[in-house]
Amino acid sequence: MIAVQARRSHRTERIAVIGLRVAAGFVILAMATLLLYLAYEGTKTFYVDKFPLWKFLFSTSFDPDSGQVGSGVFIIGTLAVTLFAILVGGPFGIAVGIFLAEIAPYRMTQLLKPAIEVMVGIPSVVYGWLGLTLLVPLIRTHTNSPSGFGLAAAGIVLAIMILPTVITLSEDAFRSLPPTIKEGSLALGATRFQTIMRVLVPSASSGLAVALILGIARAIGETLAIQMVIGNATRLPMGIFAPTAALTTEIVTDMPGATEGTLLEHALFSMAFLLLVIAMLLIVFVRLALRKRN
Amino acid sequence: MAGVSATVPVRRVTASGSVRSRRAADAIATIVLWAMASSIIVMLAAFVIYMVYLGWSALTPAFIFGMPQETTAGGGVGPEIYNSFYILILTLIFTVPIAVAAGVYLQEYEHAGRFRTIVQFSAESLATIPSVVMGLFGLLVFVYLFKWHFTALGGALTLTLLNLPALMRVTQEALASVPDTLREASMGLGGTKWQTITRVVLPSAIGRLTTGIVLIAGRIFGETAALIFTAGLSVPFNNPYSLNPFRPAETLAVHLWYTHSESIVPDVARIGNGSALVLLIMVLLFNVSARIVGRQLTKRFTGRAE
Repeated sequence: MIAVQARRSHRTERIAVIGLRVAAGFVILAMATLLLYLAYEGTKTFYVDKFPLWKFLFSTSFDPDSGQVGSGVFIIGTLAVTLFAILVGGPFGIAVGIFLAEIAPYRMTQLLKPAIEVMVGIPSVVYGWLGLTLLVPLIRTHTNSPSGFGLAAAGIVLAIMILPTVITLSEDAFRSLPPTIKEGSLALGATRFQTIMRVLVPSASSGLAVALILGIARAIGETLAIQMVIGNATRLPMGIFAPTAALTTEIVTDMPGATEGTLLEHALFSMAFLLLVIAMLLIVFVRLALRKRN
Repeated sequence: MAGVSATVPVRRVTASGSVRSRRAADAIATIVLWAMASSIIVMLAAFVIYMVYLGWSALTPAFIFGMPQETTAGGGVGPEIYNSFYILILTLIFTVPIAVAAGVYLQEYEHAGRFRTIVQFSAESLATIPSVVMGLFGLLVFVYLFKWHFTALGGALTLTLLNLPALMRVTQEALASVPDTLREASMGLGGTKWQTITRVVLPSAIGRLTTGIVLIAGRIFGETAALIFTAGLSVPFNNPYSLNPFRPAETLAVHLWYTHSESIVPDVARIGNGSALVLLIMVLLFNVSARIVGRQLTKRFTGRAE
């Protein structure tokens, strides 16, 4: 009786492990399929339409009807809004991360953490709607920008949207430091601020790098929130309040009208593939930063 | 103490001189950091108040339960709200089993090795992929390759890929929070590994796991970019509350974007304000219920308060 039971549970055990392994394998399969399929579709611009890769990356003349899909404008647009977002949101997020790890009393943490979770949960379109109804009119009335749409509006919305990522990850980075280094610094007579600036921030640098890289990843991939406020003009941003476009916003703007198999559609898939490559590169950077720490 | 300072008077003078400025710098830094952290709460509160102010008057029964309009004013978002829940439930049906199983495997069975490394790397990459790129992948597979056209199922499967990594991480963290002594006790009583996981580890982790699932559900509810090219921008007018997964299913978040950027109805602002407020209320509800449900389940299954 006991032997039968033991054998049965042994078999359940084997089946269970196989089932769990299949689920884990599914993740690999999904990622591999996605990568290969998007690589295949995303390179059609180059091997079907024979549009040169360097022109796709560096030319700013985008006119699919006359055979031009230079995406330099969108690449520069993506880089510009991301830079704006990380320059504003990065230091702010790290500062709040320090506050949560080193200064915040229990009650403040209990207030701030749920607030950050709500910020993560607010849908991208709601941020876009806020930007559209609040930020764009504000920029229109207080600057000489005629419409209010543009780089600055998109950058500010993005800076807010990457805050939760940067805050949470930089707080983790500070919390994972051994307490002895902080105690050592305080014991030598350093103030808390000196300890933070000269001991904690340098020691947590690789964790902070991860926080910033993943913030950048979030900014590069964000789509609808900035599509609603960036202005969607296919031209280089001539100034901080000028309308422009980014890779993600261009995909959303033109994909609904793109016919399957045309140069425009292929170019949009090439942009998606480029975004995928950038995302994977950033993950490699994260791995390198973490390896440095260990 | 006095003796020490008397023997090194020079040092004491320089130290006291800078102590004051160091203390001042420290105090200023503390104030600045407090102000920055508080500004987040103030900003969020301002957002919520502003959205309520804008959208409150739009939240009429005719808006919440009514049909959307293509060209005239007075459209509602009834089918869109239904579709948001419908796609959310479909997505969870696919995501939860796969993500929990994969998370259990990584956390309980394989702690090292090449397979694990590849799974982890795939999950991290999947997590970083922009949702619009995931949407284009869904377009390629479900719309072009399978020829389903825009369907609720295609949207839900795309969202499954998008949310798998996050739920896997939630599972791993929930399992990691279960103390090893529980596992050892179960194995010591003769339980197999699988019995230990299903009867001891998972019940202990269920509170945290549920909190994570509900928080991710909130994100799925508001997802937009991945759905535009997979679930589509329309609702079937003859049968808007259909249970058929092979039909277009525009969600509330997608409707907010669509109304703003593509549609020609005259009352865009009213629909936008109302939809944004409904989405915000749903996010708050998901966040609050995640905490309550998680706490209740932890108490029920483990007898611990948290």
